[in-house]
Amino acid sequence: MTNHKLVVRDLSVTMGKKQILNHVNFEVEDGEFLSILGPSGCGKTTILRILIGLLAPKTGTVHKDGVDITKASPSQRGMGIVFQNYALFENMTVLRNVEYALRLNKETKRQARQIAMEMLRHVGLEEHANKKPGKLSGGQQQRVAIARTLALHPDIILFDEPMSALDVDTRMTLRQELKDLQKTFKTTMIYITHDQEEAFAMSDRIMVMDEGVIVQIDTPENIIRNPADDYVRDFVIRNIQLKIDSLSRFAAVPEEGTGAVE
Amino acid sequence: MKRKGSTSVKLLLAAIFITCVVFPLIQMFLNIDKEGFLSIVNNERFGTVVGNSLKVALVSTVISVALALALSFSITRSRIRGKGIFRTILTLPMLIPSISHGMGLIILFGANGILTKQLNLPFHIYGFGGIVIGSVMYSFPAAFLMLTDVLNYEDRSPYEAAEVLGVSKWRQFLDISLPYLSRPLISVVFSVFTLVITDYGVPLMIGGNYTTLPVMMYQEIVGLLDFGKGSVIGSMLLVPAVVAFVIDLLKKDTGRTSFVTKRLRPRKNGLRDGLCYTLCSIAGIVVIIPIFTFVLLTFVKRYPLDMSLSFDHVFKTFNMKGSTYLINSLIVSVAVALVGTAVAYLTAYCTARMNGPMSRFLHLISITTMAIPGLVLGLSFVLFFKGSWLYGTLAILVLANTVHFFASPYLMIYNSFNIINKNLEDVGATMNISRPRILLDVLIPQTKDTLVEMLAYFFVNSMMTISAVSFLANVSTKQLSLMITQFEANRLMECSAFVSLMILGVNLVVKGLAHILKKQLRKKKAVNLQNLEVENNETVQVGI
Repeated sequence: MTNHKLVVRDLSVTMGKKQILNHVNFEVEDGEFLSILGPSGCGKTTILRILIGLLAPKTGTVHKDGVDITKASPSQRGMGIVFQNYALFENMTVLRNVEYALRLNKETKRQARQIAMEMLRHVGLEEHANKKPGKLSGGQQQRVAIARTLALHPDIILFDEPMSALDVDTRMTLRQELKDLQKTFKTTMIYITHDQEEAFAMSDRIMVMDEGVIVQIDTPENIIRNPADDYVRDFVIRNIQLKIDSLSRFAAVPEEGTGAVE
Repeated sequence: MKRKGSTSVKLLLAAIFITCVVFPLIQMFLNIDKEGFLSIVNNERFGTVVGNSLKVALVSTVISVALALALSFSITRSRIRGKGIFRTILTLPMLIPSISHGMGLIILFGANGILTKQLNLPFHIYGFGGIVIGSVMYSFPAAFLMLTDVLNYEDRSPYEAAEVLGVSKWRQFLDISLPYLSRPLISVVFSVFTLVITDYGVPLMIGGNYTTLPVMMYQEIVGLLDFGKGSVIGSMLLVPAVVAFVIDLLKKDTGRTSFVTKRLRPRKNGLRDGLCYTLCSIAGIVVIIPIFTFVLLTFVKRYPLDMSLSFDHVFKTFNMKGSTYLINSLIVSVAVALVGTAVAYLTAYCTARMNGPMSRFLHLISITTMAIPGLVLGLSFVLFFKGSWLYGTLAILVLANTVHFFASPYLMIYNSFNIINKNLEDVGATMNISRPRILLDVLIPQTKDTLVEMLAYFFVNSMMTISAVSFLANVSTKQLSLMITQFEANRLMECSAFVSLMILGVNLVVKGLAHILKKQLRKKKAVNLQNLEVENNETVQVGI
């Protein structure tokens, strides 16, 4: 297995007078699941767009496997991206969505179809192959988007809040499916979210961001045990604690007569 | 990351706009000299004419918008039958030139008008009243369409909440309907005002001695060949249009704050429905009567003396080069539809699907074309292109009409592009799918409906316009619509009526075809979806 490693050095981006990213440095190990966690506007999507090549940084570099890809075009980076809004081709069937890029990337029709069907089987959608995306649920559409990305066998897949538009049940299922797919395809995944619970449930490491800088990057356990500062304690840990507290209300049986819950 | 291909396309489009919009207008401004300016401004008649224009535009706008509001409420907030028919009839005036409305009124209420004689009416239609009636007939359908569209998409949730809270119908109208309508109404008011104040068809035909600014400009240029004075008036005509445009732009909604979840479905109410039906019927009859008189005048030997069926006026029209001008109009309209749709589509693609200062410039200049009155555009083209190979050809008419009618179809497709997922091109970039491929394989198939609508819009408007082309057409490139004034000047009202009918007929056919095509596209979409589900298993097996 080749050791893929992404190295990001000194990334800075400004838009107008606003500093979106301020000297950001981090590395991603091969086969790792890294979540980038932070509130809206903290710069996490900007990082993602720079990594994939849709945005050029003002300063800084991105190296993949030791090669400088800062100026490479998005299609030359060996990466795929899954968006929150699926970005499926609505006029094409599910199958066509997955095989479309394969066909344009010089695969034969037969090969493209085989790969596409295999990918759809991996995400459990082979029976929906000939439906249009509009006929599928949100979760199913997101699976199509994942299958479409996997079909090109990227080394790294970037996820831009892929589950924000989905209901809780679907999220829980998709979380597990995504982890399974990562194991199957041995792909490095970089996952953007503002949902603390999601980040802690899925990631090998979490990168906590605030106002364009990395506040802490560590394993979930270490972040819980040793939060870098008050921001991490408040934004990350306290939010998770609140969720646990609210859920525990329903786990406890109220005492008769008092109506009190714990 | 920037791509060279898209930058070149944007530069090309910018060059086209600068050549066809900015330079001609600059040329017109350069044509203004101090002497010409002072002679116009110091002319006593000028003050009166400006006053006339403002008076006509204000009164017509108030009546037109009120009528459109009442009719659109009648269609969208009642359960009357035949809404589709009413909608079609009420928008018929949009398919004929404004000058035809003036002519229809003269045929009915002129000194020798049909109704004037039949009913011994003690008044005549010429002057302020006639212009206002003609302008209302010409402008209210556009306002009606805009308001119907807005009202159709209103969410019923606030009304349901109000019902539960016991809020009266009247308060619901004041507190929910009016605030919802306030911004679209501003747009409608300014659109109608601009349409009326820049129109010269109705006042030229029915104004008599009551002159408005566009008529004065027309007389200076066509009658006196004074392009200097024409430029002065043209620049002044640009002022209200630009002011209206800017105010409208500043007031415009940046987008809906929520998705419409539930459309309003009016409850049964006999009295309300009866009133709405009566209003729509009266308005429909008023719209149809002038068109009916065109038919009557065309196909009877000599109204009212000899009412026998005759095709004399048809033959006479064709003998006077009617067929040549019809072909000219058809060629120009088809070309405008194709060129206009292609350029508008490409421009909207660059502005809605790409970012950057060039995209913003293209968007601004595209919507700014809305504020240029046809007469002003025509004059600018004369001054800028005179002496070039384009001048005196059908191509310059195609160019002028494309610019004149550019903004609306551009906005149609711009809005369609904005609804389509914004990340498609990003996904394409990561998968080595080029932008042109996404455009061909994904965006065009998803916007076929809008494409049909754009083609029809460009064609219909090009077929009936008189303003932008009136200074540009010569004997060999003359358009059918321009024959109306020519025949009217020669007292051949029957032939004028027939020309109006021809334009209406061609436009009805095109609109009908567009309607059928759009219906089929929608049907095909639905059938495809059904078939795909039926064939599902079969194909999946093949795939495996």
